[in-house]
Amino acid sequence: MDIDETHTPNVVYAETAQHRTAWWLTAPALCLMILILLVPVVIAGILSFTDYSLGNDTFNWVGAKNYDRLFSSSTYEKMFIATFTYVVTVVPLSVGLGLGAALLINSMGRIGDIYKTIYFLPVMATLLAMAIAWEFMLHPSIGMVNRTLEMSCGTVLEFIPFLKNGCAERFPLWLGDRDYAIWVICFIGVWQGFGFNMVLYLAGLTSVHRELYHAAEMDGAKSAWEGFRLVTWPALGPTTVFVVTISCIRAFQVFDTIEAFWPQGGGPNKSTYVMMFAIFEKGIQQNLIGIGSAITVLFLVFVMFLTLIQRWLVERKVHY
Amino acid sequence: MTRDLWKHLILIFGALIVIAPFYMMISYSFKSPGEIDRGEGGFFGRQEMMVDERCVKLRDPDRDDVATAAPRFPNQTDRQIRDALVAEAVADCQMRPIVFNYTKAFTEAPLLRYLLNGVIVTASIFLIQIVVALPAAYALAKLKFWGREAVFSIVLFCLLIPVHAIALPLYIMLAKVGLTNTYAALVVPWTISVFGIFLMRQFFMTVPDDLIDAARMDGMGELAIVWRVMLPTAIPALLAFAIFSVVAHWNDYFWPRIVVTGNRDLFTPPLGLREFKGDGDGSFFGPMMATATVIVTPLIVAFLVAQRRFIEGITLSGMK
Repeated sequence: MDIDETHTPNVVYAETAQHRTAWWLTAPALCLMILILLVPVVIAGILSFTDYSLGNDTFNWVGAKNYDRLFSSSTYEKMFIATFTYVVTVVPLSVGLGLGAALLINSMGRIGDIYKTIYFLPVMATLLAMAIAWEFMLHPSIGMVNRTLEMSCGTVLEFIPFLKNGCAERFPLWLGDRDYAIWVICFIGVWQGFGFNMVLYLAGLTSVHRELYHAAEMDGAKSAWEGFRLVTWPALGPTTVFVVTISCIRAFQVFDTIEAFWPQGGGPNKSTYVMMFAIFEKGIQQNLIGIGSAITVLFLVFVMFLTLIQRWLVERKVHY
Repeated sequence: MTRDLWKHLILIFGALIVIAPFYMMISYSFKSPGEIDRGEGGFFGRQEMMVDERCVKLRDPDRDDVATAAPRFPNQTDRQIRDALVAEAVADCQMRPIVFNYTKAFTEAPLLRYLLNGVIVTASIFLIQIVVALPAAYALAKLKFWGREAVFSIVLFCLLIPVHAIALPLYIMLAKVGLTNTYAALVVPWTISVFGIFLMRQFFMTVPDDLIDAARMDGMGELAIVWRVMLPTAIPALLAFAIFSVVAHWNDYFWPRIVVTGNRDLFTPPLGLREFKGDGDGSFFGPMMATATVIVTPLIVAFLVAQRRFIEGITLSGMK
């Protein structure tokens, strides 16, 4: 008891000291978090109800007018269509291809590492540079894509309607064609992103125990498909939740390719006018901060909603 | 074996599509404009001597040149001397396409400066991120203090906010304090990495308390513990985070595009490439692809050398 009593003041002192140091250690991070992440969210929220523009000293409250415009004007309708088309196309394809590649590579041992390396290259490469490379590939007359397609002219492959039309008249302009532009953007998105999903799935696959497959076989799972359905897919549940969320968030943020291909206006007939580009064009280039902020707020709502669903799924440990 | 064969066929088909733009980028950076237009020359091009028209034009002799050159060509008319000088210029301006493309890449635009900017920006971002995040992560993981839970829930909330999404309010704030078009503007929004704090906290949780207690016994202050005890134990996690951070910011195009307008001295590599593209008159495909190759190469080479580390670093976000 004696010892305890003599110690108590010291312990209390040590605890307040630790308390204070702890705050000193967290303070810089806390301040920056508030200043750089939280304050801007609040500012965007406030400005989205005003007609503010940089250079003006004052602004007027305009109520929900900016949001009204987002949901009534045809330009923004195109923006939502382009964004969702992109997300809904790129996410399933890049997740599916990532999973497929991971399963194939996982089943073939060391030699599969070569493919892993190759598929991961686009993840590392500067997207803007690769976008410019793709632009040359897709050049209507001297691009590699149309040149390759032309080689099929006069061969049996011409029974495919697409090639037949192309040979008879001309092959698509790709980036200049409003029917193709958004799909080309989607394609590049998948091309760039599926390698990332693949390595996440490969990491997930290493945690699937071999015994589980034997157990499933005992239970009558004969085909590879049954093994996949009963063992692999459920075991990959948490990975899938994560991969889908992060793919969605990345897909929402598509910008580099679109700005590189169409510096003005978001593609033929605004068919690739995605949200990030709209924020950039309206808010920064045209100084229409109110409308830009409204898009920012909607964007944040989408992204936060997605992440919250992910956390909810992870916490419930859902294995679907 | 036959089953593996179709697997390989599928994977090789995918690999061809993945590699195609890289192949084209590097190949174009070797070829002369004529070869690019006509699509000849295989991968390396024929590397025939070509004449740099612009260089010849620059050396177009005027009256003074002819006069100064007169002693070298005795007994000739001005016209003949002029022709001889032009012929000399053409001879001097001949070079292999590969040399032409790469010298143009570095001389048409200050590419070295851009690369240096890229290094400065990515390095400062990473260093500041560490200086801010490590102490906070240590405090959150190992020190008991009032408000710890609150700070940690702010961290968890901030994980929901992608910095690109709040680019507009951040831009307004920077413009208000007059920081646009500075190095600070390129670095500031990234100084706080909530993800880094979260990651390092998770890592520090696994460090045994005894290690810290022993350091305290030795009379070390908390800050000294962070840098001299915790940092060395965290090297693997830190390395992975470094790769994650450097790749993201070397390749980033959206944020530099917003805060740097016109001032070439601050251009990061992607911005430089973008400007190059804007200037392009069509005959500059070769040099542009050379620039793209130069920008993409450092990370790709580093990746090929230390693949395992890179994949670890990039997929770090999947370890949550």
